Amino acid sequence: MDKIIPLTSELLVSLVSFAVLFVVMWKFALPPITKMLDERADKIKDSLEKAEETRVEAERLLNEYKEQLAEARLESSRVIEQGRKVAETMKDEIVAKANEERESILARAREEIQGEKRVALAELQASVADLSVAVAGRIIGSTLSASDHAALIEKYVAEVGSLNEN
Amino acid sequence: MENLGPAVTKLLEELNPFAVLGKGAAPGVELAKNAVVLTNYSFFLIVAVALTAIFFLIASRRMTLVPKGIGNIGEWGVEFVRNNIVLDVMGSEGVKYLPFIVTVFFAVLFNDFLGLIPGMKPGTGTLGTTFAWGIMVFVVYNWVGIKKHGLWKYLKSFLPAGTPLVLAPFIYLLEVISHVLRPFTLGVRLYANMYAGHIVLGIFGIFVVMAAAALGPVTAVVAGLSLAMQIVMYAFEVFVAFIQAYVFAILTAVYMNGAIHAGEH
Repeated sequence: MDKIIPLTSELLVSLVSFAVLFVVMWKFALPPITKMLDERADKIKDSLEKAEETRVEAERLLNEYKEQLAEARLESSRVIEQGRKVAETMKDEIVAKANEERESILARAREEIQGEKRVALAELQASVADLSVAVAGRIIGSTLSASDHAALIEKYVAEVGSLNEN
Repeated sequence: MENLGPAVTKLLEELNPFAVLGKGAAPGVELAKNAVVLTNYSFFLIVAVALTAIFFLIASRRMTLVPKGIGNIGEWGVEFVRNNIVLDVMGSEGVKYLPFIVTVFFAVLFNDFLGLIPGMKPGTGTLGTTFAWGIMVFVVYNWVGIKKHGLWKYLKSFLPAGTPLVLAPFIYLLEVISHVLRPFTLGVRLYANMYAGHIVLGIFGIFVVMAAAALGPVTAVVAGLSLAMQIVMYAFEVFVAFIQAYVFAILTAVYMNGAIHAGEH
């Protein structure tokens, strides 16, 4: 029986020790710890909520982008198609224009050639007339009077002119 | 083996408190109940309590949003008591009593653990401590009840509603006795667990030493088995130390919860 009666000093020491420990824990040690626990709980809750929001937002954006992408695809094929048409039209135009130009260059060249030919023929006529008179003079051994010359030339020119008309 | 009896007697004597400071400060000296002394148990109690305070003060200064190191351990301990004892038993109403319950839990736990280090004693291994803390819990929970309901209403709440008038005095007396017994059951449970644990460890220790000293093939086996048993029992005592701290704290929470909700059942 004596054994189960505690020592008074042990009772007092343990009560005082507990009281001191309690004050230390209550006033100094626990407030920062419980504050941190609460803060973390709040933070985690916030993070989860934010994550959910972000997920919803991301999904919304994804759908939006998908739509935009589909639209862009459609638009781009439309643009390409249009581009192709424009290019084809331009090609046709360029080809037509080139043909036209070619024709006009050819026509101009032809005209120029005709002109040159005409000038050359005229020059040739003159030379041939002179030459013919000189040759004829030598063959017949006499010189013609100036009036004979003129008559002969006119006759010859008339002949050459009729030749030229062919 | 003829000296087993004296060895056990010596073991039991060694578990008795003795003074380390004050009159009659020597091992084995019987102390008067009112002697003004510091016993070996009280000394280790102060050490354990100081370690508890230092541990939590350091932990509380190492709080980081991402828990790590000693701060993490301290936090985990507080969170354990908050979630598994206070919130489980008392609900959110109990949170304001968290400092008291945390102190109860860790004071008991650190003392139990300190006593497991060879050469040291658990502050909770003497009735002086366990009774004192049992009585303290008794005073605190009744004070909480009286503060919440008022003395008269609180005392009236001991009688369950609808008790027949004839039985009322008898029931009331039973209720009062059950309350008055609480500090002693708290005290004896903790003390007996610590005391018994140390006896078991001591006995296996004696077996190891005696069997090894006898120098024989049979005794060598006995010594080996005893050593193995002692290791197993040591691990078990670590578990008991934790369980006793848990039981002490959870009963404190249960009694407080009963006082807060007095008269509701």
